[in-house]
Formats: sequence, structure tokens, C-alpha cells
Amino acid sequence: MSFRNFAIGLTVSFGLAWFSVVLLPFFKLRDLTPVAFEEGVDTKTGIYFPKTTGRVVDGARIYAENGCYQCHTQVARPTYAGNDLKRDGFAGLKGDPDRGDTRRESNPFDYVGTDFAQIGLTRNGPDLINLGRRLNASHGPDADEYLYRRLYDPRLDPAVASWSNCPSMKFLFEKKEIQGQRSEKALDVEVEEGFQIVPGPAARALVSYLLSLQHDDEVPSSMNYAPVIPGNEG
Amino acid sequence: MATLENDQDTILRASIDRSLRHPVMFFFTSGAAWLAVAILLGIISSAKVHSPGFLDSCPWMTYGRVSAAHQTALIYGWGCQAAFGMAIWLMARLSRQTCRNPGTILTAGHVWNFALSLGVIAILAGGGTGMPWMEMPSFAWMPMLLAYVAIVIGSMVQFKVRPEGHTYISQWYLMAALIWFPWFFGSAHLLVHGFSGSPLGAAGVNAWFRSAMLLMLFAPVGIAMAYYLVPKVLGRPVYNYSLSLIGFWSLAIIAPWAGMQKLTGVPIPNFLPYLGAFAAILFAVPAAMAGINLLKTAVTDLEKVNESPTLRFTVWGLIFLLIFGLASVLLNLPSVTRITQFTISGYGYDVLGIYGFFSFIAFGAIYFIVPRITRREWLSRRLIKSHFFLSLYAVFGIALVAIFGGLMQGVGQETFTSAWEDAADRVVPYAVMTTTCWCFLLVSNFFFFAHLTLMWLRLGRRSSHPTLLVEPHHHDPHGPEGDIDNAGPAVH
Repeated sequence: MSFRNFAIGLTVSFGLAWFSVVLLPFFKLRDLTPVAFEEGVDTKTGIYFPKTTGRVVDGARIYAENGCYQCHTQVARPTYAGNDLKRDGFAGLKGDPDRGDTRRESNPFDYVGTDFAQIGLTRNGPDLINLGRRLNASHGPDADEYLYRRLYDPRLDPAVASWSNCPSMKFLFEKKEIQGQRSEKALDVEVEEGFQIVPGPAARALVSYLLSLQHDDEVPSSMNYAPVIPGNEG
Repeated sequence: MATLENDQDTILRASIDRSLRHPVMFFFTSGAAWLAVAILLGIISSAKVHSPGFLDSCPWMTYGRVSAAHQTALIYGWGCQAAFGMAIWLMARLSRQTCRNPGTILTAGHVWNFALSLGVIAILAGGGTGMPWMEMPSFAWMPMLLAYVAIVIGSMVQFKVRPEGHTYISQWYLMAALIWFPWFFGSAHLLVHGFSGSPLGAAGVNAWFRSAMLLMLFAPVGIAMAYYLVPKVLGRPVYNYSLSLIGFWSLAIIAPWAGMQKLTGVPIPNFLPYLGAFAAILFAVPAAMAGINLLKTAVTDLEKVNESPTLRFTVWGLIFLLIFGLASVLLNLPSVTRITQFTISGYGYDVLGIYGFFSFIAFGAIYFIVPRITRREWLSRRLIKSHFFLSLYAVFGIALVAIFGGLMQGVGQETFTSAWEDAADRVVPYAVMTTTCWCFLLVSNFFFFAHLTLMWLRLGRRSSHPTLLVEPHHHDPHGPEGDIDNAGPAVH
């Protein structure tokens, strides 16, 4: 084997794969083709455009910097790849008071607005793609209060105290002397007399981001590849 | 006449070794130091999985950051530097060229270490990028890439100007790794840092990059080294030469397609995960070809394998390579992926590849190369034996426990009728076991690092008898002493 043949062989074998699984998909996924709702099939009309509110960019940065993705994923996989659609709250709500069953698999639009889709490495903790939706359903307007306490020390929540191994993020909070009235956002946690624990800017961004994770909105039926079949769910 | 040629040959080898002494020793000792850092961070991060309260008042020690820093130190601190040391030494030896730019390589090695140190500190300080194995902030990758080019450019030139004649299979593997690494490392970092607006595309590039590090840097360098060490120490030809060539080309054709199977079920074009899984499963073919070919060579003289530190480590590295190939098949079957995709199995698989297969061959190489470049023999067979047995059991432990534990964890996750608590509880015993194994590895690496440092300080035995792992026939625990000055023809 001459060096020339070797170099050609190596360039072709690597270059072909590199072009077709790395370069091309990367740029293809960069401009997503808008998908339209179909009249008569879907309840909505126009172009599907997911709305996200919250400090997504800042919060996603805090999420990334503290390595949340080591233990939490953000994807509801189709049924061929796992039971995410059936696990309570992962893919949406089974019985949303207004919309009924909102569960659906993730789609490419769910990640728009961030630089890196935090798919995650393991599920040592639960999936978070619909965390905001779950918490809104269980805690309503107090969802952020609950989440602050949970981030401050996950084991303060009696529901998970016995088994959660989530790290506490106390460093995202500030201990401040109470001057005048206690802050509205002050956490209901043990602290020495005259002081209060309030969420810092990073904690506020992170909570805002986590509550924005509500990716169970209605999608055009052309995109809903594996709708949950009524009666067949868990 | 034959003696004269033999002498000239010996002198050439000795001068090649001398020319590379400082850069190669730098990469090995610095790599071993980073390995110690990686192990310490590994113990901390693993302990946090079962005892979340451990060190939890310190933001730098948050699980997510420590875990990322642990993997970064292991991959870029130990893995890459061990690979550089092996690659530049082996390419010089096989191309029969002395190193002409040791100063450049040494400087580049320091740049690599400096960028890496800043990167790891930044991760711990909370400046990580959030992309697995690419967590170092964006300032780090460009200096590292340039340092890499400065380190290996000499090796490429050596290959180009090598004397006419036979090209060894190890050289093909090395050349491939030297060309692949900057290509995938540079393009992956450029895509994710230089082009925003493709979150899923970036996640895909990242998944592919992680696979490429294992299959297109560590695998070819490890296999190249093993193809040199086993026949060399045994003094026997490789069992089947054409098999080794087929093995090389199958790796070149298969490995670049693997990686995206990590994103099964993620909304990216469907063919990507399937293609990735297919390639990852097929990786077993080049792994088995290299592994079986070399083990077939090794079994011809098991006594020698047992007494040579180099061969003990290398042969176990090859056994790990076979297990690694088998794990690639099992973990990437679609029916298994749906259970293990988001579990600790992935970590077990990575440890098996980096610390089982690659590092064992790297240890074998270090036990072979260091006496030649320092012209001193290893001091103590007990230190080598302790290093060997502790590493062997601990790495086996982590890999098996994490892969099997991940399977159990996945079953818990998939059983959607029971609470999430069930899946979380299933991890705990395996995490305890993993922490224990990392502690054993810390002890093991202490022996290795201390021994290597003594060699680096040139405090090794002045002897022409290599340190072998056989029972001595007399009372000296360090084996028979040989000639005090080993500058003569006895240089290996």
C-alpha cells in the first residue's frame, strides 16, 4: 500500500461519513422548515410556532455550567425508543383540565432558542422536558417557590427526601440581613435569626428557564408521528 | 558484518530514544499526574451519587461540575497525553528517525497542559459549556489543537522520509489517528462554537465527537502500540499479517459513522441514530480482528507474557478490547438501547474503553518505553504488581458494575407503572461499588505515579536486566543486578 493510496482511502472513508452524518445534518437542522396546521385535521390553523417564555438563554447557561445534564435529560422519546410517553408527566399531562391528554414526543422546535440541545447523559434524575408543565399542574402559581426550595436543598421536599441524590444548589442563593420587611421571595428554610435566604440572579434565571420547559403544546398532526392511542396508555 | 550492522542498529535505536527522552517522559509523567487528578475527581463525583451531602457546601464540588472535570481530566489529561507520548516514540522508532524538534514538542506539551489546566479550573469554577467531553470553555480548544499539530508534525515528517521498505501496520494505525484527531476535534469544536442556531445539530456533533474520541483516537493508538509491543517483546511475528490490514481498513470505514446512536429517539433525522448504532455494533469487527490476532500471537509464549510487565498489561488491554467490542454490540442493539440509553451504562462503556483497553496498553507501553529512554530499569516488581492487580480488578469492577447497573436502572426507568423512586434506588448499590473501585484505582495509580516519578528523576536501576515479574532466585527483592553501565550493545 503506497502512502498516496493510503491517504486517498483514509480521506474518502472518513470524509464521506463526516460529510453525511456531521456536516450536512448540522446545517440542515439549522434552518427548520416551518410546518403548517392542516385545516379539518388540526384544531388550530396557520403555521406551527412554539412559544417559549422565560429567561431561556441565561437559565440554560446556568443549567449547562452546573452540569445538570449529567443526570437529567430533556427529551420525550417516541415509543420505539422508550416508555417516555407513558411515564407520568414526562411527555405532557395525561389529564390536563383544559386540553385533556397533552402528551407528545419531542420535536425539533422544542429546542429552538438555545445553542445546544441539552439532551442529557443519564436519567439519574427524571426527565425535565416538561418540568414546567408538571410543576404548574401540581403547584400552580407557587411553582417557582417550590422550585427555589427544591434547588436550595432537594431533600427538604418530603416526597423525595428519602431517595433524591440531587445536589443542593445553595451557592445560587444569597443570605441577607432582613431590613424592614422580609423579602417576598425569601425561602421558607432554616436560617439564623434576623437573616433570610433569597434567590440570587443565577437561581432566578435557572428557575425561569426550568419553568419554561413546557413542550407539550399541540403540534400539526403531520408532525405527531406517534400520538398516544386512547385506552392504551399507562 | 552482521555484528557491525547490529551495533549500528543498536546505536540508532539508542539515539532515537535519547532524542525523545524529554518530550516522551513529559507526556507520561504529566499524564500520570492528570490521571491522579481524574481519579480523585472520580471518587468525589461517584461518592456524590450515593451520598449527595458529601462536600455539598462547596460550589466547585457540585456533582455536575466535578463529574465533567473528572471526565475532562481523564480524557485530555491522561488519555491524550499518553497517546501523544506513545505516538511520537513509536513513529520515530518505526520510521528509524531521530526526533529533530524535541524542544518544540516539549513547549507544545506545556501549552496543552496550560490550556487544559485553565479549562478544568474553569469547569470547576462554573464556566463549563455544558457539552459533554467538550466542557472546557471555548478559549481552550484552539491552543490545544495548535499544540497538537506542533506535537505530531514531526512524526508525520518522519513517516514521510522513512527509509524505503516495509511499512508496519502500527504506522498505518498511527498515521490514521494523527490525521483523524485534528479533523474531528477541530471540526466538531468549530461547528458547535462557531455556528449558533442549530441546537440539535450541535448535540449531534457532540455525540459523534464523543464516539470519535474513543474509536478514532484511543482505539487506533492503542491498537498500534499493541501491534508493536506483543511481537517485539515475544520476538515472534504477528499471527496473521493480512488480518491486521483488513482490521485497519474495517476500522477506517466503520468508525466515522458511529456516535449518533446516543441520540436515539431525539428529533433528528431518523437515519442518523440507526446508522450510528449499526456502525457502533460493527466496531466489534476491527476490535475482534486486532484483539484476536494479537492474543493468538501472545498465547504462543504465556510464560513470557506472565513475567513481562509490558506484556501483562498489554495482553489484558487486548482482552479489554474484546470486551469493549462485545459491549459495543450489546449496548447498541435497539432493544437494549431503549433500556440503557440514559443510564450509567454509558459511563461504564467509556471507562471500559479509556481505562480498560486504552490505558492498560498505555501502561504496558510505559513499562516498555521508559527504561529505554531513561536508560534505567524499573525499581521494584512489587510496585508494578500492585499497580497491575489493583488496576485490573478495579477497572473490571467499574466497567461491569456500571454496565450491569445501568441495565437494572433502565429496567426501573422503563417500568412506568412504578414510581421514579424505584429507578433512582436501583443506582445506589452500583454507585457505592464504583466509588470503592475508584479508591482502589487511586492506590494503584499512587504506586504507578511514584514509580514513574523516580524513573523520571533517573533514579531507576542501572542495569541491563529488565525488571521482570518472576520470583527471584536470591534474596534481592529487585531482581538480579546487571552491568552498572548499560551503554553497550545490551541497550534494547
